[in-house]
Amino acid sequence: MASRSEIVLASLLLFLSCLAETSDANGVVLFSSLPNTLEMIVSPHKPEQVMKPAEGSWTFGGTLKAGEDKLSISWRLNQSFSAGTTDSGYKTIKVKLCYAPVSQVDRGWRKTVDNLAKDKTCQFKIETRPYKHGSSKWKYIDWTIKHDVPSASYFVRAYAYDGAGVAVAYGQSTGPKKNYNIFEVQGITGRHKTLDVVSICFSAFSVLSLVGFFVVEKTRAKPT
Amino acid sequence: MEDEHPPEQVPLKQAVPAHLFALPVDEDGKATEFRPFSMASPHMRAFHLAWFSLFSCFFSTFSIPPLLAVIRDDLHLTETDTSRAAIAAFIGSIFSRIVMGPICDHLGPRVASATLSLLTSPIILATALVSSPNAFITIRFLVGFSLANFVANQFWMSRMFSGCVVGLANGVSAGWANTGAGATQLVMPLIYSFIMSAFNLPSSTAWRLSYIVPAVLQASTAVLVLTYGQDLPSGSYKRTSKKGSKDSFFEVFFHGIKNYRGWILALTYGFSFGVELTTDNIIAQYFYDRFGVNIQVAGTIASCFGLANFFSRPSGGLFSDMLGRRFGMRGKLWGLWATQTVAGLLCLLLGRVNSLWSSILVMCVFSVFVQAAAGLTFGVVPFVSKRSLGVISGITGGGGTMGAVITQLLLFSGSKYSKQTGISLMGIMMIVCTLPLSLMYFPQWGGMLCGPSHHPDLDLEADHYRLLK
Repeated sequence: MASRSEIVLASLLLFLSCLAETSDANGVVLFSSLPNTLEMIVSPHKPEQVMKPAEGSWTFGGTLKAGEDKLSISWRLNQSFSAGTTDSGYKTIKVKLCYAPVSQVDRGWRKTVDNLAKDKTCQFKIETRPYKHGSSKWKYIDWTIKHDVPSASYFVRAYAYDGAGVAVAYGQSTGPKKNYNIFEVQGITGRHKTLDVVSICFSAFSVLSLVGFFVVEKTRAKPT
Repeated sequence: MEDEHPPEQVPLKQAVPAHLFALPVDEDGKATEFRPFSMASPHMRAFHLAWFSLFSCFFSTFSIPPLLAVIRDDLHLTETDTSRAAIAAFIGSIFSRIVMGPICDHLGPRVASATLSLLTSPIILATALVSSPNAFITIRFLVGFSLANFVANQFWMSRMFSGCVVGLANGVSAGWANTGAGATQLVMPLIYSFIMSAFNLPSSTAWRLSYIVPAVLQASTAVLVLTYGQDLPSGSYKRTSKKGSKDSFFEVFFHGIKNYRGWILALTYGFSFGVELTTDNIIAQYFYDRFGVNIQVAGTIASCFGLANFFSRPSGGLFSDMLGRRFGMRGKLWGLWATQTVAGLLCLLLGRVNSLWSSILVMCVFSVFVQAAAGLTFGVVPFVSKRSLGVISGITGGGGTMGAVITQLLLFSGSKYSKQTGISLMGIMMIVCTLPLSLMYFPQWGGMLCGPSHHPDLDLEADHYRLLK
């Protein structure tokens, strides 16, 4: 029979090895090490009942407008895992808006990198919430797409963090290859009629002052 | 033998007698002293107008990169688009600098530079109207034209300042103007955040409005140049009417381009100033990617590189003048070769060092040497040809930005070389392309490897230049 101290030591080692799975010796968290334990659904309008759409289907057509349209985002712990395994360590959930691969092509500032500290895929924070354990109900946010979201294709991802702020799990509204349920957002343009008018007036002033100068020089030179 | 006839100077303003100039002058009326903190008309006033108007052109041309992080998402730009736009900005300036040379020879630097500034300031404002990648590339191409004012600036200084101080005048004026490229990296983000917070505007409107500042600055400096500037110590620049003129536009142009020395200087300038421009473009991202500093710190380091121009380029000009006084043209050439070769070695070293602080240190020393080399180049340019000074200045200036395009295309586009390998290779290219300086030979002054040929009247232009006090 193992003594008490040996059991404590063994469980400590087990706990440490679990930590080691998600981070290496430097405390760097790799995305590829996170288990996908949360299921997510995103749709542009509040559904009567939350139903998971079939894989490969577009949940909605058309483009959403930044600053105007809403996204409804729902998530919960994946019910197909055996009960009581994983979510005891989750303390906070952070939901983020992430770039789809088609919007990352040739754009190094949106690159997906395995090291979460350097990963640039998910640049827009949607919501941070404390995690409620033991509930199989869908958690739900109605989010108006912010003004500064640029035109691109997106999906939504949620990260679960433990008490120390280290990411321990994730869930996303698309598959591992991020090739379905991708939606598009149209950013605001920032061009205004006033700006156009100001620019035209300024250009006219520039050119006219140049012409005016030449005229003045010519009339001054004539008497000599 | 060339027939040396300086253009007839028909003053539009009353010519000031030489003894009434605030500064001591030589027999052409050119100042033999350089006092940067005086506003004495016409020499020092011309200096201040020249450097400040060129400062505004550099400020405008390089005002787009600092806000690129915001612009690229708004306009849906890819990395291909942004690097194409950066190269387009330089290509615009190559062509315009070469053309600006003969235009200065013909119209005078005051009118030429003010016209260019006034015509390009609406273009920088048009950045506010851009909504597609192609429009973005076009705007950067057109705004790059304003860098031709560099040629007008150096031409103007060479007409106002005598041979014994022309290197310093050219160096200070270009150096202080180049700080515009560094200042804009610091100032534009501040303007953008100020507009966003003070007027409560969304980001995509704020960045557009920010471009009012460089446009107004550029137009104002042009108006000041037209109102207060003067081409020559004796008055405005006017060629005699066409019937008596021996110097048609094409004669001056072909006389200039046939002079091989202009082309050698264009090559060396391409690998001093050109390298400086390329480094301006890539250094922030280099520190950000390789050492993981955040974007603000990377931008600050990048602006330090440009701001060093305040003293390093003038030092190059000063050094050139000192060498000219003690050792003549041979000294100037050796000084230029040595400074640029050391800069090349430092560039090679920059690509090889592995820690953040040693990289910053090497970068700072490198910036001093490469900018001084650019200053030393324009200590030699005024002596190549008096008649075609504009053409030679234009060719050399164009060569500078051509060097930037070449190094950027060969070494920093695509992922063929890592950035640090690219930087080291750039250093090697600098060392190799400085060697042709040894081929420069002036019959009356000698070259790097040979002395003068003891026929003082071989080139009549020579008598107009005083290297020694």
